[in-house]
Amino acid sequence: MNLDLVVLAVLAGAANWGFRALPTLLMRREPHPGGMMARFLAATGPAAIATLVVASVLPQLHPVPRALIPLAAGAAATVLAFLPRRSVAAATLIGATVYGLAFGLLA
Amino acid sequence: MTDRRLVQNSPPRPGFLAGLGQSLPIALGYFPIAFSFGVAATRAGLTAPEAVMLSLVIYAGASQFLALALVTSGAPVLVAAFTLIAMNLRHVLYGPALMKQAGTGASRRHAWAWAWGLTDEVFGQALGALARGQRFSEPWMFGLGLGAYVAWVGGTGVGALAGGGALESFPAVSAGLGFMLTALFLALLLSILSRAALPAIAVAAVATVIGTLAVSGTTGILAGMIAGALAGVLRR
Repeated sequence: MNLDLVVLAVLAGAANWGFRALPTLLMRREPHPGGMMARFLAATGPAAIATLVVASVLPQLHPVPRALIPLAAGAAATVLAFLPRRSVAAATLIGATVYGLAFGLLA
Repeated sequence: MTDRRLVQNSPPRPGFLAGLGQSLPIALGYFPIAFSFGVAATRAGLTAPEAVMLSLVIYAGASQFLALALVTSGAPVLVAAFTLIAMNLRHVLYGPALMKQAGTGASRRHAWAWAWGLTDEVFGQALGALARGQRFSEPWMFGLGLGAYVAWVGGTGVGALAGGGALESFPAVSAGLGFMLTALFLALLLSILSRAALPAIAVAAVATVIGTLAVSGTTGILAGMIAGALAGVLRR
């Protein structure tokens, strides 16, 4: 096994572990309710998820738009499947299935 | 007395199997991407064990694809490592944000182990479940993280061994699987949508677009998360 590759993986992996685990382990106490840190952390989740939605869709829209109809169909199916039972798993699976079907039909 | 009544009325803490079950959409989304990574790694000249080692040790999708590009371009190890590390800086926010949502007294004794699995998708899934009223438990986090991790490492191994032809024969299946993570993020966004969260969501979306178009995808993600979280601080 290539030693440089192992060193690269260990350095990157150790940093990933540090980023993911240390902030939780080093938290001394809960942030003051209503304080700036509490509001920052409460907003981090919605901000992160919104960011990931946009970041995952953007490559399909820019610089060259592609598969827009499957994208619209998949997104609409995800939303419509979520509404009745508010199930994330069902909405994800139905959205991906509809995207694949639309992609196949238009191919 | 009040505390005891509160505990009695709370839903039970989910266990390992509940977490494993909830990891299914993530695992289904991870597998084809990891498969693609395995294929790309072997095409770049890595062996199957080397490809699997990268997934086991780094466990961060975009970083791993970038690692391939850096390794094949002959970039010095330390420069390559620094680039990969900078890409995942956003993860420092996930643990504290999750524990804030988990509430006072949530155990984090074994966070040194389960937090390894705190990827974008696992964080989003965990946060969404807590926002919908589910209680936090460390075994649940282990289950959620392990399902995703096994799919990632397994997908890499299968991709490295099978080569690129397997999914190319089924473009619609490949396209549907490729949309899985987008659908998951969208469903998670719907699950946490509230009037209070709207400013953070809107600011994050705009900042992501601007950061991505003006600089790069990595900058866009970091800009979106930080700008959105700051919008939450400013909200009264």
